[in-house]
Amino acid sequence: MSFSRRGFLTTGLAVTAAARTGLGKAMAEPHHNLPDWHVGYRNAPVNGFDPAPMQLVFGKAPSGLSGSLYRNGPAQLHHGKTPASHWFDGDGLVHRIAIDDGKAVHSGRFVQTHKRKEELKAGAFLAPGFGTVGDPSFAVMSPDDVNAANTSVMMVNGELLALWEAGSAFSMDAETLETKGPKVWRADLASMPFLAHPKVEPDGRIWNLGMAGEHMAIYKIAATGTVEDVAIANTGKEYYIHDWAMTERQLVILVQPWINTSPVPPFIDHFVWQPEDGLKILIIDKDDLSSRRWVQAPPRAFYHTGSAWQEADGTLRIDAALYREPILGAGGGTAEITGDWRQEDGFSADFTQIVIPPEGDAYLIETGLDGEFPQVNPDFQGLPRKLTALASGTVPGRPGASALSVHNWERGETDTFEFGYDRMVEEFLFVPKPGGLREEDSWLIGPVLNLKAKAREVCVFDAAHVSDGPICIWRADYTWPLGFHGTWA
Amino acid sequence: MASIISKLTSVAAMALAMPVMSAAALTVTVEGIQTAEGTIILGLFNEETYEGEGAVNGANVVVEGDTISARFEGLVPGEYAVRLYHDVNDDGEMNTNPFGMPTEPYAFSNNAKGRFGPASWEDAKFTVSSDDDVHTITMK
Repeated sequence: MSFSRRGFLTTGLAVTAAARTGLGKAMAEPHHNLPDWHVGYRNAPVNGFDPAPMQLVFGKAPSGLSGSLYRNGPAQLHHGKTPASHWFDGDGLVHRIAIDDGKAVHSGRFVQTHKRKEELKAGAFLAPGFGTVGDPSFAVMSPDDVNAANTSVMMVNGELLALWEAGSAFSMDAETLETKGPKVWRADLASMPFLAHPKVEPDGRIWNLGMAGEHMAIYKIAATGTVEDVAIANTGKEYYIHDWAMTERQLVILVQPWINTSPVPPFIDHFVWQPEDGLKILIIDKDDLSSRRWVQAPPRAFYHTGSAWQEADGTLRIDAALYREPILGAGGGTAEITGDWRQEDGFSADFTQIVIPPEGDAYLIETGLDGEFPQVNPDFQGLPRKLTALASGTVPGRPGASALSVHNWERGETDTFEFGYDRMVEEFLFVPKPGGLREEDSWLIGPVLNLKAKAREVCVFDAAHVSDGPICIWRADYTWPLGFHGTWA
Repeated sequence: MASIISKLTSVAAMALAMPVMSAAALTVTVEGIQTAEGTIILGLFNEETYEGEGAVNGANVVVEGDTISARFEGLVPGEYAVRLYHDVNDDGEMNTNPFGMPTEPYAFSNNAKGRFGPASWEDAKFTVSSDDDVHTITMK
């Protein structure tokens, strides 16, 4: 029964947690005057996390769930008493939660970038960045000199990659999380930007974009990691492109009217919102990258899409977490990092379907669902589908999501599990069940930050019955900072 | 670590006629070369020529180890700077990725580094005053 699971979450776990004293609590205590949620915005230990078993504190691990949840996010948010100038500029730390035979083991390592090494040596933020001026003496010979490698992860033919967006992916050992160095897809592509939101076809072929000013690189990469094609496009202005979408046959690139007007860091200070341009959509034929058309949509800002699909009559549909205007602009996230966040600093997304008819302008179907980090079943990437999972919900008194939702476009319904104030909810990923053929034949796996227990938890849901509550929860008796995106491999 | 003394070969626009009075000489040593193949293309510039293409002097030095040297004689005493790149594949060009970012190693005198561009003259300049000056550049 869903009711009993809810009851356990609001009582049983809290009692269990209160009885524990662990590393997590010890890490959290020096900050006496900060709000409880600030534990999500503190530095991870300098050497990361050695492998440590997590404890199954609720439910039974589903049989057949075997693999690793990898996640990335900024985990150096302070040097001494100096906070990062922007949430997006903290050094990336890659986590691995390896799950096998009902057991979960957590480990984590910072990506050893040039920026990380130099700043750790100096004990200060030095590199210019998205929202950081940087030290004028910090040399920048290549985008990878300022690469924070902090946004997402992907697995390509057994190679783990930590992804940023303005420079190279970083290659890492998938088991030890040891950093190998910047990924060079092909000698002539060294130091090319590679967005943190590649799209992977169900057969393993990878598509991605790389942005530099108004120039856009389009990557087509085989499942083996071999580059099949790279094309260059021009968007006309320096639009901010963080994520995009793909159907079976097209690349669907949402070009929001948020435009960088100067190459001088901090870059975010020079972004201008020009809603009169509307949201433009560039559609590129995957079989002929020179075949391109533009479509106009109402002005919206966004960071993340779910995915796109094409219907028999040629209509394209894309779902995304849209905003009326840009969020996390200048100073983005600093109020959270310093603990000074107030309710009025919050912002709301509107989970929306963008419909592009075969001819004419695009229009929006808005759900009113305030959700972020949209995710779809990877077996249905780019294909007709109905389900999107989101971190959703807001609670008074703290930033971040409080719920997990699955929206069903076919039924126009949203199935939600509300965790409440005590758990900050991050991105949940679809993990198809072995032998499952339908979208809903999946688990959803993702981390939450338990504020009451000052502990980290990884939860598993049945994607078909999210409101029933989690199937199982593993807990680490310590915390780590909130992150961005992950992958299951 | 055996240095290879260069044989100077022609570099476009390098040969400006210089007064020979009180001539100075400079040996530029480049260390830490990552790939023992190709050619180091090295240009010696003064303040007037640093931003452009016209080197005061230059050398193309075949790489056979992790170090090369090039000696320039008959220099007018004064301030100079070096810009160099390692033409690893010997195609005569400084290769770039599709966005124009260098994909072959490059360096400046004083090991000066740029910030979103080449190192400045102010950071890269050094003085040549005698007939046995030595300047060492370490590749990253």
